[in-house]
Amino acid sequence: MIVAHPEAPARPAPQRAEGVLRLALKQEAGRTRPDRVYQEGCAKVRLVQGPLGATEAEPILINSSGGLTGGDRFSVEIELGPGAEAMASTQACERIYRASAGEVEIRNRLRLGPGARLDWLPQETILFDGAALSRSLEADLAPDSEFLAVEAILFGRKAMGESLTHATLRDRWRIRQGGALLHAEDLRLEGPVSEILARASMLKGGAALATILHVGRRAESLLEPLRGILGAQGGASFWRGRLLARLTAPDGLALRRRLEPALTLLRGGRPLSRLWRM
Amino acid sequence: MAMRMDDLGAGGGGGLARERVGGAELLRLLTWLSPSFPVGAFAYSHGLEQAIHEGLIHDRESLRLWLEDLISLGSGWNDAVLLAEAWRAARVKDSAALRDLAELAEALAGGRERHMETMLQGEAFLRAAAPWTGVAEPAPLAYPLALGETAARAGLPLEAVLTAYLHGFAANLLQGAVRLIPLGQSDALAILAALEAPLLAASARALRSSLEDLGSSTFLSDLIALRHETLYSRVFRS
Repeated sequence: MIVAHPEAPARPAPQRAEGVLRLALKQEAGRTRPDRVYQEGCAKVRLVQGPLGATEAEPILINSSGGLTGGDRFSVEIELGPGAEAMASTQACERIYRASAGEVEIRNRLRLGPGARLDWLPQETILFDGAALSRSLEADLAPDSEFLAVEAILFGRKAMGESLTHATLRDRWRIRQGGALLHAEDLRLEGPVSEILARASMLKGGAALATILHVGRRAESLLEPLRGILGAQGGASFWRGRLLARLTAPDGLALRRRLEPALTLLRGGRPLSRLWRM
Repeated sequence: MAMRMDDLGAGGGGGLARERVGGAELLRLLTWLSPSFPVGAFAYSHGLEQAIHEGLIHDRESLRLWLEDLISLGSGWNDAVLLAEAWRAARVKDSAALRDLAELAEALAGGRERHMETMLQGEAFLRAAAPWTGVAEPAPLAYPLALGETAARAGLPLEAVLTAYLHGFAANLLQGAVRLIPLGQSDALAILAALEAPLLAASARALRSSLEDLGSSTFLSDLIALRHETLYSRVFRS
């Protein structure tokens, strides 16, 4: 049954979207280059040449369907060979629209070889009213690889007058290092989300949240400066080999104002993709 | 999401899991979950000290709701899922599953103090349980797993263990919080009475849970627990 809803934009195409992207990157003569690229359905990748002298590759992931709804599937696999360096981001925010049946499945799998560095920096995911999303992030790191990941979620778009009352969200992270599980996250929201998010233990009425994880040689030394950037609506901790930060904000703009400097800090001062900068 | 259909069925938690608890099992449950059993729970506030400091918890109702959220939709719920999984794996002596669970529980403890809280209590519990288990030098293990495994080996029924664990979790945080807010003992008891229904509901759900049911909605509670690390004047270790 299709339910009309005045606030949630409907995805124009009725057929289900499916996208598969597999990207392998390798280090060659001091630069990171594509080794294998496989694109299927609505998943595409654009490889941006970094500035002259840059060692990292900048894959930009594109979902050409313009948004996802129940039953849609999107899967990304990125593999970095020894010493390869990349900053992966997305061309736009991922929009999850009202689901009439089923949930959106997003599977992200990352593999980092010895000495590789990957910054996994997709733009925000926006959940519209009635959205149902199940997402997983699995990363396999070598003992000496460097990793930075962010997942930011916006619950509706307040500024656009789009409120969200019901949704389903499952966001699961499993980060392994040298084969052993290093970090796990299981975020889960179901049902009357606006009511749940209003509670003090959840978001206290905020409409945006983000989780950041960083594994790397300098991670511990970045804890204090990171806390300075996050301010009163964020928290950070370093323990057992990883730096973790959580932050909330009243809306997407306020979230981005702190995410951008925080991610730049964790990238050792390297600028973010142009798409991230306001 | 609505309640899952299998919540309505009679299957799932049958057999030993739903047996009545009596005799030696009841005694062990009372002993191991007693506030005087030396796991050191009183030293941890699970972030509540910071939440009170920042005014997120400030009276009887806000404290009751915070605790209910932890048990029904937060870190207390995750503990219950992990405990149930450990109990089942220990019943069938699945040591590979227990190893994976130990790794998962540690990786899920979402910050330095949360990790310390669950690991030190787990270790203290196993050491204190040595007269029953005969294990004097236990390996490090998160607290809900330590209890789940030990209880399964001693033949304690899962539902009773889950209820006792969640009650201990809530009652310990409640005792710490009423001193910090502060609230009187009658408020604390009113909260404990009001938490009975959500406690029983969570343990009944956890009885039929699998690892797929892991997941917490209490994002600010998890965030606040990180901020506790920089709280200047503190009574609790988390």
